[in-house]
Amino acid sequence: MDDRRRRFEVQVLPHLDAAYRFARWLAHSPDDADDLVQEAILRAYRGFDALRGSDVKAWLLTIVKNCHLTALKQQRRRGSVPLPDEHDAQDEQALIATGPDPESATISQDQERTLERLVSALPDPYREALILREIEDLDYREIAAVTNVPLGTVMSRLARARAALKKQWLQQVEGEPRAVP
Amino acid sequence: MLCPESLRVQAYFDGQVDAVTAADIEGHMARCAECRALHQALEQLRTAMRQELPYAQTPPALRAQIMRALDKESATDTPQSQRRGRTTWRTRSFWVGATSGLGAAAIAATLAVLLFAPLLRTPVVDELVGAHVNSLLSTHLIDVVSTDRHTVKPWFAGHTDVSPVVADFDPQGYKLVGGRVDYLQHQRAAVVVYQHGQHVINVFSWAATQRSPPNNVTRNGYHLAFWKAGDLEYCAVSDTGWDELLGLVHLLQGLSARDAPE
Repeated sequence: MDDRRRRFEVQVLPHLDAAYRFARWLAHSPDDADDLVQEAILRAYRGFDALRGSDVKAWLLTIVKNCHLTALKQQRRRGSVPLPDEHDAQDEQALIATGPDPESATISQDQERTLERLVSALPDPYREALILREIEDLDYREIAAVTNVPLGTVMSRLARARAALKKQWLQQVEGEPRAVP
Repeated sequence: MLCPESLRVQAYFDGQVDAVTAADIEGHMARCAECRALHQALEQLRTAMRQELPYAQTPPALRAQIMRALDKESATDTPQSQRRGRTTWRTRSFWVGATSGLGAAAIAATLAVLLFAPLLRTPVVDELVGAHVNSLLSTHLIDVVSTDRHTVKPWFAGHTDVSPVVADFDPQGYKLVGGRVDYLQHQRAAVVVYQHGQHVINVFSWAATQRSPPNNVTRNGYHLAFWKAGDLEYCAVSDTGWDELLGLVHLLQGLSARDAPE
């Protein structure tokens, strides 16, 4: 194996699982996530020489995010999926707005609302910031880089996402005979 | 109405402030019930998210597919003919590689491999020393800070592929300080971190292969003690003396023996 490939495996592939998890949250289906993460790894490999510094995980997740946006644009050109709403003002009103899709409307409000479901219901920009922080343990600066927004926006998105989740989830937990972990 | 300090409380919770600011925010929280409640809610939410949200790993089939795609990609940009053979070597563990060597090589070469294997630079030893040194240099010594094995052990369950023995041996001089995940032998290995006097001892563990573990070895001034317990392979790495290092190893082996079902 050539040196470049070896360095890539040592430096970048340890973050493959993180890329895969992030892709699962971004993509609409497991198959899309598989395609997304493979495309991202290949793109990372091609652009590996440009990588400087030690922020490898954030760098790789940025590529996953960019690949996702590219895929969305292609789908949109084919007219299949609309681009996500990128306006924060509208998102703020829509934060965990329950029941916009028929599936969640049929589910009773008191059941099946696991935390995962609540997180999935967050608008994309809020879910991304939250996942990158809580699950992938990126710091604010890294999240700002991956999601391509200013640091202040990261902070406000995190605060809003957490406030929305807290409201829905903690209330729900308190309403059940189940202890908060 | 939201307290105007709430964003700073969040930044404090996320570990994004310096020590001076942290003290300032702690002072504020002591006075502000709303911010104390916010901090508590943030903690509850984080705990719940880390416990309940899926922490998926790349499925093996996808990983293999990606490795093949990388092979193809490398083949197009560098025309070295022997690369494929060496890729195979690299993607297998050392011991599997050594075994395939046995089949292919002449008997004399086989004997040489057997005799000198402990003297050869084994990838796993290099990986372990690299991981140990890196843990001392970077801020990545500890992912979960705890002296309580009941905190460290369950944490591994959600973050690694293995569940090693964990215990605090503070009375014997080996203080449990936390746990960490390292990428080792193509796995997410669990690392239990002990403090012995001024020295850090990293105890790595990963799913064992069929072969017996490497012999104990000193590399770059670090001692590496290997052993196998159950279906796990362990390695304790430190710059302490051999006696101190083996002292911890014996304690851990005793613990494994006691925990074993038989």
